[in-house]
Amino acid sequence: MSRVVTEPEKPRAAFVTGAVPKAGAVDPDWLRGRRAKAWDIYLDTPLPSTRSEEWRYTDLSRMLPLDALVPADVSLAVPAAANGDGTVPEPVRRAMAQDRHSAGRIVDVDGAIVAVELDESLTRQGVVLKSLRQAARDGDPVVESLLATRAVPASEGKFPALNAALWTDGVFLRVPANVHLDGPIRLSRWVSHSGSATFTRILIVAENHSQVSFVDECLSPDFESPTLVNTAVELFSRAGAQIQYVSLQRMGKGGFYLANQRTLAERDSTLDTLNVALGGSVGRVDLNARLLGPGANSDMLGLYFGDHDQHFDFNTSQDHVAPHAHSDLLYKGALDDSARGVFRGIIRVHEGAQGTDAYQTNRNLILSDRAVATSLPNLEIGADDVRCSHGATVGQLDAESLFYLMSRGLNREQAERLVVLGFLGEVLSRLPLGGVTEKVTRAIEAKLGNVR
Amino acid sequence: MNDAAILSVAGLRAKVADEDLHILKGVDLVIRPGEVHAIMGPNGSGKSTLAKVVAGHPAYEATGGSVTFRGEDLLDMEPDERSQAGVFMAFQYPVEIPGVSIANFLRTSLQARLEDDEELDLFDFQELLMERMELLDTDPSFAQRPVNDGFSGGEKKRNEILQMAVLKPSLALMDETDSGLDIDALKIVAQGVNTLRQENPDMSVLLITHYQRILNYIIPDMVHVMFKGRIVESGGPEVAMELEARGYEEYRKAHVA
Repeated sequence: MSRVVTEPEKPRAAFVTGAVPKAGAVDPDWLRGRRAKAWDIYLDTPLPSTRSEEWRYTDLSRMLPLDALVPADVSLAVPAAANGDGTVPEPVRRAMAQDRHSAGRIVDVDGAIVAVELDESLTRQGVVLKSLRQAARDGDPVVESLLATRAVPASEGKFPALNAALWTDGVFLRVPANVHLDGPIRLSRWVSHSGSATFTRILIVAENHSQVSFVDECLSPDFESPTLVNTAVELFSRAGAQIQYVSLQRMGKGGFYLANQRTLAERDSTLDTLNVALGGSVGRVDLNARLLGPGANSDMLGLYFGDHDQHFDFNTSQDHVAPHAHSDLLYKGALDDSARGVFRGIIRVHEGAQGTDAYQTNRNLILSDRAVATSLPNLEIGADDVRCSHGATVGQLDAESLFYLMSRGLNREQAERLVVLGFLGEVLSRLPLGGVTEKVTRAIEAKLGNVR
Repeated sequence: MNDAAILSVAGLRAKVADEDLHILKGVDLVIRPGEVHAIMGPNGSGKSTLAKVVAGHPAYEATGGSVTFRGEDLLDMEPDERSQAGVFMAFQYPVEIPGVSIANFLRTSLQARLEDDEELDLFDFQELLMERMELLDTDPSFAQRPVNDGFSGGEKKRNEILQMAVLKPSLALMDETDSGLDIDALKIVAQGVNTLRQENPDMSVLLITHYQRILNYIIPDMVHVMFKGRIVESGGPEVAMELEARGYEEYRKAHVA
């Protein structure tokens, strides 16, 4: 027997077509056009399904009620020009107080930039740090040429398209040739509305032989319903330049953090990334490193520590387009309770990329019977003179190790804490950046329950 | 001689936790402060199991008898509580802990001995560590290496002795510490143990070994022969010599008879 079910039309406050013109109301024509095109791509692109290799272990259709989300409305936020410290939420202020010296700071609350600070000497040297939206409105030609074009264009997929259509604001950072910053630029992000969707972008351009480090920290309270933060990160290092980008994902429960990151490293430049995932309910990072010039170098580091039912999924690729470039990936994760960790990485050595040096390692430490780690390293080699290796391990905190530590007087919690900190610490020691190691170590310790 | 036993094992029966087969079938042993006891025996005799049961290894389960340490029921205590009470086991196969330096490990071990609101003074700790390393003639950089990670067999055993020197136990269980060591490494280990005994004459040692040779360097007060889960002979150092000469054959015959 068949029956016809007619469901009442749900209110789809979410991503109705009207959201695009609303999001783009004050934008220049080129950007409005880009948004409209991105929206069409979004409509034409199905939600990533577990039938696709890249999303096999993260079932967004089951986890994230996309249509129930309410896009952040930036018009409600205080515009950057009118900011004072009063607009920076207390938890963000506390996190900022832990930081050491910064060359500049920028604060994003619910998808709107509410504060920007940059060392005056850097402003004089031509460093630009501002709201990405403002930079687009100001007619910055670099923004027009690089925003959602060469790095994370809408054509990359469902979420890059949605982001390109609906992004509310973000960061534009440009460092002129030969300028070196003596401390990191720190972005502090805060999301406050349960059930909201926030779309932001980061665009960093380091011109020839310049140097910059950037720490992108995302915080939120615990949420009652799924709350999405979607970010597109576009990093360009020109010849001989150096960029270090660090993402610290420390959202509360219910947070969904979806990031698309792409790094484009030109000749002799260094473009290093560190992704730290500690918070949120679901974290998914798609990182594509492109080595575009000979002598380019990318260290790609990742650290994740999941407990309860946290789900972290990293999808990385190392694209060696140019010959004689070097990339080295190390992702380490510890998983407790029924947490889930997925790592899928591929090294692609393009035709003609002779002399490539590319490495990829993923290590997992399982702390409970219910935790699961999946590791899928991969190689695709189109040149013959290369040095590549990949490896993955999933290990347990076995009874023997635990007994060894306890036989020296540590209780079970202290033993576990020591092993986890030691295991994850290796990643942090590879990218020592002002205050990041201490901050992440403290956050891991807090997750471990603060036992001494 | 001080008559109060530091360790008293009586009628101890123990098995592998998930199996029925008993490995220890009624072991009696009394160790007094300052005494060195050696337990020898063929493979599978249960000598290593005895050390592990005393230290609280979770793979073994005591099913009968008692183990009393300074008057306290040791079988009732967690491994960390036993350690804090003064029991130390030097492992046959020390475990690697990547990313954790020996110094950090030892600091955490000492911190664990303090009350919750007490903080180990870092200067005091550094001083203690340096002094202990000097005592054992160990290079200071050793403490900065991750625990047993990539260590040679000799380095692992040296690390066990260093931990023992810092934790200052009153009973040291040496679980086949000598196996797989060349003669130079063996001497270093033996020297370390003797140095600690000189420093604290009340420290007792239970030495589990397969070979007589370590007993040339650490002179035992008592030697016990263990066979099929029981101590079948006890005596002075001469027992080890005889064993070296005769082997375990007569025990096998006796057991069959």
